[in-house]
Amino acid sequence: MTAWLVRRLAAAIAIVLAVVTITFFLIHLAPGSPCGESERQLSPEVCRRLRAQFGYDRPLAVQYVKYLWALSHGDLGESFALHRPVADALADAIPNTLTLAGAALLIDFVLGLALGVYQAVRARRFGDVVLGNVGLLFNSMPTFWLGLILLLVFSYWRRWFPLGGMSDPVLCPTLSTLRCVADRAWHLTLPALTLGLVGAAGTARYQRAAMLEVMAQDYVRTARAKGLRERRVVLVHALRNALLPFITLFGLAFPFLLTGAVLVETVFAWSGMGRLSVTAIFQRDYPVVTASALVASGMVVLGNLLADVLYAVADPRIRVRSEVT
Amino acid sequence: MRAPSWSVRRLVGASVLLLALVGCERRPGCTGDYCGAFLIVATAQPDVLLPPVTDLQYARDVTDQIFLKLADIGLSENTIGDEDFQPLLAERWEWDDPLTLVFHLDPRAHWQDGQPVTAADVAFTFDIYTDSTVNSPFRSNLRTISAVTTRDSLTPVFRFHARYPEMFYDAVYHMRILPAHLLRPVPRTQWRSAAFGRAPVGDGPYRFVSWKAGESLELAADSAFFLGRPHIRRLIWRFTPNLDVAVKQVIAGDADAVEVLGQPGNVKLARAAPQLTLYPYPGALYGFLGFNLSTGGDTTKPHPLFGDRRLRRALAMAVDREGLRKSVWEDLAHVPPGPLARLWWIWDPETRELPYDTAQARRMLTWLGWRDSNGDGIRDKDGQPLGFRILVPTSSALRLRYARLLQEQFRLVGADVQLDEVEFSVFNERVQSGRFDAALISRNPDPTPSSSVTQVWTHAGIGGSNYVRWVNPAFDRLVEQAGAATKRDEAKRLWRRAFEVMNDDAPAIFLFSTDNMAAVHRRVQGVVIRPDSYWALLRTWRIPADQLTDRDRAER
Amino acid sequence: MSALTWLALAGAVAVALLVAEEAHRRAAASAAGRRFLRHPTATPGVFILAFFVTLATAAPLLAPYDPAFQIDIVHLQNHAPSAQNILGTDVYSRDVWSRLVYGARISLGIGTIAMLVAVTAGAGVGAVAGYVRRWVGAVLMRGVDVGLAMPRMFVLLMAVALWEHLPLAVLVLLIGLTGWFATSRLVRAEVLSLREREFVAAARAAGAGPTRVIFRHVLPNAAAPIIVSAALGIGNVMLLEAGLSYLGLGVPSPLPSWGSMIYDGEPFMAGAPWTSLFPGCAIALVVMALNAVGDGLRDALDPRKETA
Repeated sequence: MTAWLVRRLAAAIAIVLAVVTITFFLIHLAPGSPCGESERQLSPEVCRRLRAQFGYDRPLAVQYVKYLWALSHGDLGESFALHRPVADALADAIPNTLTLAGAALLIDFVLGLALGVYQAVRARRFGDVVLGNVGLLFNSMPTFWLGLILLLVFSYWRRWFPLGGMSDPVLCPTLSTLRCVADRAWHLTLPALTLGLVGAAGTARYQRAAMLEVMAQDYVRTARAKGLRERRVVLVHALRNALLPFITLFGLAFPFLLTGAVLVETVFAWSGMGRLSVTAIFQRDYPVVTASALVASGMVVLGNLLADVLYAVADPRIRVRSEVT
Repeated sequence: MRAPSWSVRRLVGASVLLLALVGCERRPGCTGDYCGAFLIVATAQPDVLLPPVTDLQYARDVTDQIFLKLADIGLSENTIGDEDFQPLLAERWEWDDPLTLVFHLDPRAHWQDGQPVTAADVAFTFDIYTDSTVNSPFRSNLRTISAVTTRDSLTPVFRFHARYPEMFYDAVYHMRILPAHLLRPVPRTQWRSAAFGRAPVGDGPYRFVSWKAGESLELAADSAFFLGRPHIRRLIWRFTPNLDVAVKQVIAGDADAVEVLGQPGNVKLARAAPQLTLYPYPGALYGFLGFNLSTGGDTTKPHPLFGDRRLRRALAMAVDREGLRKSVWEDLAHVPPGPLARLWWIWDPETRELPYDTAQARRMLTWLGWRDSNGDGIRDKDGQPLGFRILVPTSSALRLRYARLLQEQFRLVGADVQLDEVEFSVFNERVQSGRFDAALISRNPDPTPSSSVTQVWTHAGIGGSNYVRWVNPAFDRLVEQAGAATKRDEAKRLWRRAFEVMNDDAPAIFLFSTDNMAAVHRRVQGVVIRPDSYWALLRTWRIPADQLTDRDRAER
Repeated sequence: MSALTWLALAGAVAVALLVAEEAHRRAAASAAGRRFLRHPTATPGVFILAFFVTLATAAPLLAPYDPAFQIDIVHLQNHAPSAQNILGTDVYSRDVWSRLVYGARISLGIGTIAMLVAVTAGAGVGAVAGYVRRWVGAVLMRGVDVGLAMPRMFVLLMAVALWEHLPLAVLVLLIGLTGWFATSRLVRAEVLSLREREFVAAARAAGAGPTRVIFRHVLPNAAAPIIVSAALGIGNVMLLEAGLSYLGLGVPSPLPSWGSMIYDGEPFMAGAPWTSLFPGCAIALVVMALNAVGDGLRDALDPRKETA
């Protein structure tokens, strides 16, 4: 188990490193530099120093080695556009993204699970068909478009939720009181719901299929034959065994939430990683772009790793199989 | 749709319950004349809070509350002479001789760390603003000042190279005085990334409190401010990237003020909001489609298309500027007869311009050899299609609209236009380095035409703000004469002749000059918006004690 | 809209109905087809797809206006749906219906081409990685791991934003080239199980080279997962294109794609919702139809698994 874990971890690190490398070369091969040939605000003199400071006048290979060296010391460089260390900008953005992703995952799984179980119990009857199609619809629309519509309905037409943003800067500049935590939750609702609903639609489909498969098996039939109440059969015997594929879903949901969040954060003016990286890409803020690629791929790989580990713990057969391939 | 609405209602219920519970913990809060929290929405955050290294409007709005000028322009926006200027850091001034200006600093003025403001600070500030390493965007505005010295600790002395009507304006308007004792240790190469720029210490009515990147920025009234304690206690900017959303936040009561309302639909909505008062003011903004006359910024190489004056004229005649203005702005803007802001007194509707005449535009293009030989609707010459790209910043929804409308109008006369929609800083960089065909540029110029027009449209601006690289000696001469003219009538006549020369040459199509409208919450009184700097007089605004809301009373 | 346009629209509906009817008739004749039809949404899905494909092919007949034409920029901006403009006009006074019809061409076109690129690359790499075990396969699959770890949106954004004036063709190619990783895993798994089967061994014994074995014997038998992932892939690409457009990086103006229509209409969501609601609905409908048909195909082509 330990050897397996170490191997998986090494592979994960290698993947992140590969992503960073690709990103690094992709942006450095792109035309256009932060210090244009005749930029007015920065004199050629300043630009020259800036280049020397960031190493942008050296050959690409040297820059790359320099970057990796700095990276290994935890130094992510300094942002061109924000005039501050990249690490600081990330430290501001990551908790926000995690808050949003966490809330969205919660909605995703709770709602998805409940709907999946309900649909499986009522399989092929009216409720199942309607929910199945509604779920399919949610799964088929652009996430940001759903966000726009929720915003239109619940913020413009009905003033139930704020028009984007993360907090009320007058009453709650900091998360100091309970009231401010509630304020944050209030701002969080629509973006989390947007991501969560789309995710829940997918989760429900998986869960329904898994439940149906389990409920057709012998031990469930046995449990029923023993005269156990249907509710108990479904919730205890069937659900517990149908939860296994759920772990994979958890790993899969991670990248989905991240990419979905790029757009949803833009729609709701949520200052997380998505907005940070999009703005950085648009502004050619290379250090921030590379660092966001690092974080994003890191989270994806971490999600997968976590799912693998959980799976291995839950079901030893999987470990063997993954060792074969 | 059953599932989502169910969960929404549940969540609403839960949050309402939670709010009701926590609403019980109430603190007494602020009462009296010096309370009030004023929330402004802005569509972008400042880059850095250090006046000499940024000319971003969003940064200036904030830093002008933290740092003071020696004296400020009056509400008349008169830039000639010194009669209309209001004392700020300097309580008075006099001219020793026509080239020597002596200021007397207010002895009560002090930095927010307790140190007094001295003449040495003024000399240091001038040194920074004119330093070639710091390379302030205001450096060229100060080229007429030869030196700033100190006579004693409260008396800075300005020496000029030459006499001209706007000497005083140049001496006081561009520089915000900086604390030398805090900034002297910062290396000149690192001003942009100095820690001071994210947590400044100034001498103005407000002091810095906090800046949450991408979210909000808060200032607090300095109760010991020497010109009188500001009535509004907390000043907060909230950053909402989309102007239409920002306006809706103000309308919904989530924010107190926004200085421009953007598209006309927003004005209608704001007018209907009972808690808002609208304040119209002449805009300081004009926008144009500039043709790049050079290739890649190299003025020795004329642009393959726009190097030809006749082609520029043909394209200018193909554009229905009035129609565009009505479509985008309705009656919130005028079509300017040249590079003119509504604010400027030299605006003359009689100025001669090229007509909107698509028939003539088509004839001219055909005559120039541009014909549609392959029937695809796009003219071509020697196998080359008549095509160019328009550069436009994504930060401006209204300019994006202009770009789309222009694209279609040019298509109708047979020109194929592609749009380069880029982020604001990329736009700036490309416009400055000359890497564009045509660009939708807007200028937010100074209150005075002479320095602004000189920088943007004459030979002096090459390598600076003359992004289109257009130079016309006759125009330059007229601008110089107009700037030196002491009589207004005379100056106005000269300006008009200058712009007629320019319109004939068509280096740009002047599309709009805005009449702005600010929306401010009704409970705020004494609101005066100065067109060149919206919040400049905010320290005199007040919220009467009987109109304070819970938000005003809330402690941080 | 003139009578002629209405007639053309009725014609499009009729064509789509005929196609759906024909598909239903043919499907009912085979066992696999009947599994397809067990999905209650499969036939409506076919109808929706046929309808939009008809719109795309017959766009000039169905669109009363040139999609870029600004009818009257002063008086006809953001006009609500009317007899003249059945889906209203956008802020540039362009006819939303005409743009929607021409947009079908571009959105479906981008989806299809990018999907073809992705499926070709995915099937190719998956087949090679599955068939040639040794180090080639291992290296390829590690590459796929890296590809899966890079958020696709992020990569595309970088490419589009950093390389200015990226031609549309390159963008489509890029979308395709960033979307094959999952397919290649699927195909590889299928190939791994197929390569040990007798008919493959027989082909090998008969002296067929690896290329021939892969393309003539293995891949055709792994068609089921490829076809299903292709159907789902088109939908994914359309969603992706909409997302890129929302950030202002989609197809260049004035070309209408459904994504760029949402982008154009978004600032007027509150006052003129039709400008962004209709294209959004079109995307949702088509993607839903693709999902429904994809589900049906999965069951039809793979009798071992049943989901419904």
